[in-house]
Amino acid sequence: MSPGRILVGIDVGGTFTDFVLFRDGQVRIHKTATTIGDQSQAIIEGLELLQTAAADAIIHGTTVATNALLERRGARTALITTEGFADVLSIGRQNRPQLYALAQPPRSHLIPRQHRFEVTERLNSAGKVLTPLNEQELENIAVQIAEADIESIALCLLFSFLNDTHERQISQWFAKRMPEVHQTLSVDVLPEYREFERTATTVINAYVQPLVSRYLVTLSRALSGQTLWIMQSNGGTLAAEQAARLGARMVLSGPAGGVVGAMGLARQSEISEAPHLITLDMGGTSTDVALCPGHIPQTSESTICDLPLRLPSIQIQTVGAGGGSMAHVNRAGVLRVGPESAGADPGPVCYNQGGISPTVTDANLVLGRLRPDYFLGGSRSRPLDEAAAHSALANLGCRLSLSAEETALGIIRIANATMERALRRVSVEQGYDPRSYTLVPFGGAGPLHACDLSEALDIRSILVPRHPGILSAMGLLMADVSTDTSQAIIRPLAEIIRQPDLLGERVQELKRQVAARLPTRRTDCRIAASLDLRYTGQSYEITSPMPLPVTATGLEQTLRGFHEAHHLRYGHSNAELPVECVTLRIQASHPGARFAQPAADANPTDLADAQVYTQSIWLADEGALEVPCYDRGRLQAGHSFVGPALVVQYDTTVAVNPRWQARIDPWGNILLDYGADHAA
Amino acid sequence: MPRDAILLEVYRHRFAGVAEEMGITLQRTGYSPNIKERLDFSCAVFDARGRMIAQAAHIPVHLGAMPASCAAALSSVRKWSQGDVVIVNDPFDGGNHLPDITMVSPVFAGKLPVFFVASRAHHADVGGMTPGSLPLSTELYQEGIIIPPVRLYRDGMLCEDLLELILRNVRTPDERRGDLAAQRAAHAIGERRLLACMQTHGTDEVLAYADHLCRYSEQLTRAEIFQWPDGVFKFTDAMELPDGEDALIRVAARIAGSSIMFDFAGTDPVVHAPLNTVHAVTASACYYAVRCLMREDIPVNAGCFAPVTVRAPANCLINARRPAAVAGGNVETSQRITDAVLGALAQAVPDRVGAAGQGTMNNLTIGGTLDDGCPFAYYETIGGGMGAAPGADGLSGVHVHMSNTLNTPIEALELQFPFRITRYALIDNSGGAGRFQGGRGIVREYAMLDSVTVTMLSERRRYAPWGLAGGAPGRKGRNMLIDALGKETELPGKFTRHLQTGDRLRIETPGGGGYADRNSRST
Repeated sequence: MSPGRILVGIDVGGTFTDFVLFRDGQVRIHKTATTIGDQSQAIIEGLELLQTAAADAIIHGTTVATNALLERRGARTALITTEGFADVLSIGRQNRPQLYALAQPPRSHLIPRQHRFEVTERLNSAGKVLTPLNEQELENIAVQIAEADIESIALCLLFSFLNDTHERQISQWFAKRMPEVHQTLSVDVLPEYREFERTATTVINAYVQPLVSRYLVTLSRALSGQTLWIMQSNGGTLAAEQAARLGARMVLSGPAGGVVGAMGLARQSEISEAPHLITLDMGGTSTDVALCPGHIPQTSESTICDLPLRLPSIQIQTVGAGGGSMAHVNRAGVLRVGPESAGADPGPVCYNQGGISPTVTDANLVLGRLRPDYFLGGSRSRPLDEAAAHSALANLGCRLSLSAEETALGIIRIANATMERALRRVSVEQGYDPRSYTLVPFGGAGPLHACDLSEALDIRSILVPRHPGILSAMGLLMADVSTDTSQAIIRPLAEIIRQPDLLGERVQELKRQVAARLPTRRTDCRIAASLDLRYTGQSYEITSPMPLPVTATGLEQTLRGFHEAHHLRYGHSNAELPVECVTLRIQASHPGARFAQPAADANPTDLADAQVYTQSIWLADEGALEVPCYDRGRLQAGHSFVGPALVVQYDTTVAVNPRWQARIDPWGNILLDYGADHAA
Repeated sequence: MPRDAILLEVYRHRFAGVAEEMGITLQRTGYSPNIKERLDFSCAVFDARGRMIAQAAHIPVHLGAMPASCAAALSSVRKWSQGDVVIVNDPFDGGNHLPDITMVSPVFAGKLPVFFVASRAHHADVGGMTPGSLPLSTELYQEGIIIPPVRLYRDGMLCEDLLELILRNVRTPDERRGDLAAQRAAHAIGERRLLACMQTHGTDEVLAYADHLCRYSEQLTRAEIFQWPDGVFKFTDAMELPDGEDALIRVAARIAGSSIMFDFAGTDPVVHAPLNTVHAVTASACYYAVRCLMREDIPVNAGCFAPVTVRAPANCLINARRPAAVAGGNVETSQRITDAVLGALAQAVPDRVGAAGQGTMNNLTIGGTLDDGCPFAYYETIGGGMGAAPGADGLSGVHVHMSNTLNTPIEALELQFPFRITRYALIDNSGGAGRFQGGRGIVREYAMLDSVTVTMLSERRRYAPWGLAGGAPGRKGRNMLIDALGKETELPGKFTRHLQTGDRLRIETPGGGGYADRNSRST
């Protein structure tokens, strides 16, 4: 990173808006309460408090699009589709959400039937026009759209991914007739097959886009000229004016910053240039897990609000276990944890805000793994009420004939089992061996559970970031500027290999498209291409990297990579079966920021100075142990110790189990290694 | 090993994870749209005695029927070896209808099998009278190749002769070969995961908790049934036979303490139509209905079934003997059994049970020859209205009760097959009116681009899905043929027809019944 540049990362969460200011190699952190109605308010105020000169770039992670969907506050949206198919959106894949429920909540489709319009037109499965578009019908639709006060139109016609003429024709007609109405074309958002998924993705974009666009315009204006970049679901950032057009691409950006941040930290702490990480972001109600085998894995199969969203996002597993997950004993006398969460209000019993059911946080407190006076640095007005948590756990324990501590251990164990399942899903179940991975725990509660989970999966190293509570905001600064596009190309790969030039032309065309979305003055643009491949006859594809420029040899290499990936994931592959190409994907990116190594502390201190307490904690059934408790702020690069121990700081607590060796790296991260020599 | 209240919950996740991962593997490596797009399969883990420990179920009709396959495999193999895989589809020896091919394979600890993993997948064609193997048959032998429980793999080696024999008897051998390989891949994953689990935690602990989990589910199920009033609750519903006659299903639900018995005495005898079912399918429907009434999230395993007994007269419609025709029993009669059972239970727990759903899967098979001369067989089912329940409108355009398969995307099927979908929509006002409204049915219209053979097995074309507590019935389904000149002819609920290029078929699926008087509906 060039000296003197000022970068600000701003990550908006449900409770706090986090700021990370980077200037002259120094990092400053600030937290402010999120302003729910208008997120930009907290941002402007926070920036004023930081009193920085104009930033060279502000990189922003926002939940505006996500919240619009979750709270159904998006634009009044209409859908225009092929005659006979207005209900594709509501029928979906015609399965019911719950298998064994006689009463089920209604499904949401974002657009009511009266705002879904059909036009006479039809293409066949080769993209040939069977029925030409009847433009005269558009007049009538326009009248209804005007009457219904529609702000945004989603356009999705059958087989348009093979031939976009009709969609563009309708788009041009409406652009002329009602220029003020926003438009989203399926061929622009997701030119891929499967009509329901394409329609839903197009509708999601149309639904959030006006809101996102208004928000970004307001914010950009308030930032008067400072460059604004927006975090996308795929872990890359995009200039605000580009992002405004593709609102659906930031819908799943919430957990992306953390994963990018974890990769950035691991790279700079010299674990490796292509670190193998499993990230564990444990918050109040849920835990997000991602496995990064040297790169950040992407998926296009996500769901939000019962609707599929087929745009690239970081491949993340979410499970409903977090610090706020509540425990109860069911009728068969079995202890269950979650998925109900106490949230922030009333919160765990120990918050003393009316919570009755003990939560994972209460269990950690009673086991001594949380210090009542250190929680969030005492930023809460009162210390945690340990006695209340203890009595709630004792009550629950009565029904199991267990002590409060034993019950608490049980709660931790069950919460861990839930998280372990998520960790297994991203690792062993995808063919990755967790033993060669480093776990990066963050979020408020991640570092408390990291050792237990690592032991369950035989993970032998853990990296606890210096600031686990604001890793997402740090990630914003480290994210690549990136954008991508795709195009359906359904052909046997062998055919493509025979004439690689045809594919080469498509690649050039898509490269021009994506490069146009990136800042022009930067020259370090990386272009990556990949093909979604499958054995002819299968329905699920594996995204396989393709070297550029397109050559027959390069494609052979892609093919070999596909067989290997198939074998890794499903345990078998067959080089003799014909392989089919389904989609071409192109990604363009500029690398994100890197931080220089901070200078070593001039006055090294003794480890003993960092020890603030001795604390009695329960780590396993054997009972309480007296362990040293270190203040994270006083730990310095080079310090090292062996568990059991606790490390406390304002935004998290790290539980170091026995047999784990901790050392502090030059960036202040704690590196934990399992089975370390106890003599150390 | 005593039950630890905490480890129990941990093992629930572990076993469920194994079955779930088998399912993902099968889906991702499957070849036919029926498996990869529609997810018409289930995977399960059994213990050495053949008790089901965990299931990744997409399809409730497999719920009670998979254990029968496991039992048949267990009794057919005297000495298991590592790498054995038994394959079976014989409805009278562990199967439910011929298209559902089940595989069962052992997982060893030392020298003994301690677990079995099983997968059941609906194969789009297994031979027989019409493409898609859901024909208007009158005996089993017309329905396709019958595979008794035999080993397709011995010691890990594929019995190629057997596979060739099977493939020679089906219309689409390549697809079958791929789907069978996908099932086998799922088994390999299931076995690997169970072995790893036993290695880490010890075989004794893993086995002990398999047992504990079953007891746990039984305990919870019994606790729930115990709260229901004791008594006998009766209900009768009808199947629509191809010859215009009806076949009645009579059930008496006898609740006593924490047990329930479904007695089908008085049900009509076996019919000369493909609508008979084997006992395992009837049991599935009963287990499903009971499972729907549980308030708690109970792990699905053998323990859930222990408090439930199913008694049916010998050789009747729902407990048929060889060689009765059963192709459609699994998909259609199973729905009616569920309706009858829920109709009976509605009297016992009126605040929990709703009106009848569409009560059919609208099974459509289309077969013929592709441009390249290869035969094809396409199978799909169509959703409809779900019955309204106390407190909720029925969902529209979904599968109800015994199925929950997905549709095949239009843009996927038109790429592959010589027909075109010209309309796919919900039918206005097709849900039964009521305080809570029945879900709407679907209309799906097919235009044939070549001459094809079409077979339809559908129900609720003559008798509408019933409403409950004063709610109106749902709209009946209709099958319409529209020829090239536009002339419409109504076809029966069950038919096989040769259609020509230009012919169109319009299937209108039933709406769900309404619940309670419409005048009390809040606006």
